[in-house]
Amino acid sequence: MGFAGHVTLAAFCQQVLVGLSRTTILFIVASGLSLVLGVLRIPNIAHGSLYMIGAFLTYSLVRLGGGGSAGFWMALLAAPLGVALLSFVVERGLLCRLYEREHLMLLLFTFALMLVFGDLVKMIWGADYRSFAEPPFLQGSVLIFGLPFPRYNLFLLAVGPLVAIGLYLLTNRTKIGKIARAAAVDREMVGAMGINVSWVFASVFVIGCFLAGLGGALVAPTQNITQGMDHAIIIEAFLIVIIGGLGNIWGALLGALIFGLTDAVGILIWPQFAIVFPYMAVVVVLVFCPKGLLKSIW
Amino acid sequence: MKRKSLIAICLAVGMAGLLCSPAAWARSIKVGIVDCYSGPPSTYTNDVRDAFKLVVDQVNAAGGVLGRKIEFFARDSKFKVDLGLAEAKELIMRKDVDIMMGTINSALALAISNLCKKEKVPFFVTFAKSAKITGAKGHRYVFSMNENTAMAGKAGAEGLAKRPYVKYWIAGDDYEYGHAIAGGVWSNLKTIKPGVKLLGQSWWKVGEPDFTPYITAILSAKPDAVIVATGGRDCVPFLKAAQATGFNRRVPFYMHTATELATLKPLGLQAPEGVIGTSNYYYYYPQTAANKAFVKSFKAAYGRNPAVGALYGYVAAKFMIRGFNKAGKIDTEKFIDALEGMRIDSPVGPLTLRAFDHQVMYPMFMGVTHKVPGMKYLMAADIVTLPGKDVMPAVAEIKKARAR
Repeated sequence: MGFAGHVTLAAFCQQVLVGLSRTTILFIVASGLSLVLGVLRIPNIAHGSLYMIGAFLTYSLVRLGGGGSAGFWMALLAAPLGVALLSFVVERGLLCRLYEREHLMLLLFTFALMLVFGDLVKMIWGADYRSFAEPPFLQGSVLIFGLPFPRYNLFLLAVGPLVAIGLYLLTNRTKIGKIARAAAVDREMVGAMGINVSWVFASVFVIGCFLAGLGGALVAPTQNITQGMDHAIIIEAFLIVIIGGLGNIWGALLGALIFGLTDAVGILIWPQFAIVFPYMAVVVVLVFCPKGLLKSIW
Repeated sequence: MKRKSLIAICLAVGMAGLLCSPAAWARSIKVGIVDCYSGPPSTYTNDVRDAFKLVVDQVNAAGGVLGRKIEFFARDSKFKVDLGLAEAKELIMRKDVDIMMGTINSALALAISNLCKKEKVPFFVTFAKSAKITGAKGHRYVFSMNENTAMAGKAGAEGLAKRPYVKYWIAGDDYEYGHAIAGGVWSNLKTIKPGVKLLGQSWWKVGEPDFTPYITAILSAKPDAVIVATGGRDCVPFLKAAQATGFNRRVPFYMHTATELATLKPLGLQAPEGVIGTSNYYYYYPQTAANKAFVKSFKAAYGRNPAVGALYGYVAAKFMIRGFNKAGKIDTEKFIDALEGMRIDSPVGPLTLRAFDHQVMYPMFMGVTHKVPGMKYLMAADIVTLPGKDVMPAVAEIKKARAR
């Protein structure tokens, strides 16, 4: 069988669109991880758990809202905010006491957080998987290039650029964004300027975790919401951050594009071995750019 | 003084307890169950245990088997082979169980089967679908209370051969279950209908979160039909993606467990219509008095309709009880001799335990998902019954596999 001979241009374009919609989720999650990594210098292993909590919260809120469109929009906003609130409590209550400690300590702390969050989810939502439908107007599919394309994926395609623009404005046009970028480069200097670095860290951590929650909320209607979705996403998110350049948000965008597109196109052209495609891409990137594609701020 | 009286009281209470417990009169028949009762598989396994308990409670209330009560101990394997095997050892060595039962995990089922072969304890497999259990790795002490991948493959092929499709695509979990089902369907289909063509295959990892890119890729190849070999919890997101992309409306596809209650219920009305699936059991089919009675008693006890696992639990309990009754005493070898070739009545009609491989000869029902007015989830329609003798793997094939 090998390379399938059926690949038409229309099928290829459509598959690229499917890949781009998946990229949206990957970008949102990875950019949050990268933001925290860049400014706080913490590889937040619990990032995937916050993504999972975001998905479970969305499920509960949608159920609460009766499954209609209004409930979905409400959940899409409230679930990431809930995750942000949780991360705020964790940052102010625990994490902020550890910044002066050595790196390994922080790494262990976020690992412990991942285990705690995993059990928390099991205690609140149980071990069963959950599933809910897209809001009515995003159900079903439309024809693009003569092939069916799910409406919800179109919606994701629209959300991706919006989040990217939002992040650009945040880091370049707001005071907190500028301070955060400065703190990423030289935190002593920022402190010497009389800025409370601790609060900068808190806000960046909360924004990063909000993005994890948003990713979870957006992905929730398309798949099983289940234990273990945290592990799956955190591995992909770290790979994306690594190939993009540690701590660089635009690197996360580039990495997510590479990961999402090689995955989708691999499935089309060589479906028997599609699983390896994105990982092959990671290997190729790291062979040629061991420090990632864009400038790492580490 | 005070201490002595305390000891005396303890002794007296202990003796009284010993005398009053049924064990003091006649040792109960002990069944050890190891299965995954946490996480997604519990959707399937709880039904097995609940239906088993239902039958056992009835028998115990009526005086038990050979004057003895049946007692069972259920352990949660958490889908882990090492943990489940340790629990099985504990049940055999310390609880001294007469029979082992359980598990949805094929790897664990094979491990326990191996242990039971050494310990000479009969093992009733419920839900693990690997054909190796009663096939290549089968032995005197193992019994399968459910259909396996070989039977599902044969049933799928029999059903698909009756339809006009020629160009097929195969897609599934890159894992033993997926390859076994897909390989089973395809090799049987080619034998029955030599004209079929395979356009291509897609294999995804178990727990794949998003099936959309796979489905769009398959649709662009324009096959006549697709054989989907995905199992367990992956069925739900797959069917969800199938609904979102309109897969089922463009290309018909076959998925072994697609029509089962445990798959369709969580999806509600979001499940795609027109999906072809095979199952051992529907609570609404066959519409016989035996099935209706079973559904009624299960529903009365647990407040829900029985899914396919309930049939497995029921059948396991019935074979055990009849096996002991026929053997006439609690003797493992006589019990096994009694079981070989035994026939029982069940909600799906009479069932035979094939003497050669200890596989229950289940009929398979092939149906198509469709909406039913007033129901909150989809059900199977246009159900075709494929008799047990037609879907069973040939004895000659098993002999060949075991010789290897």
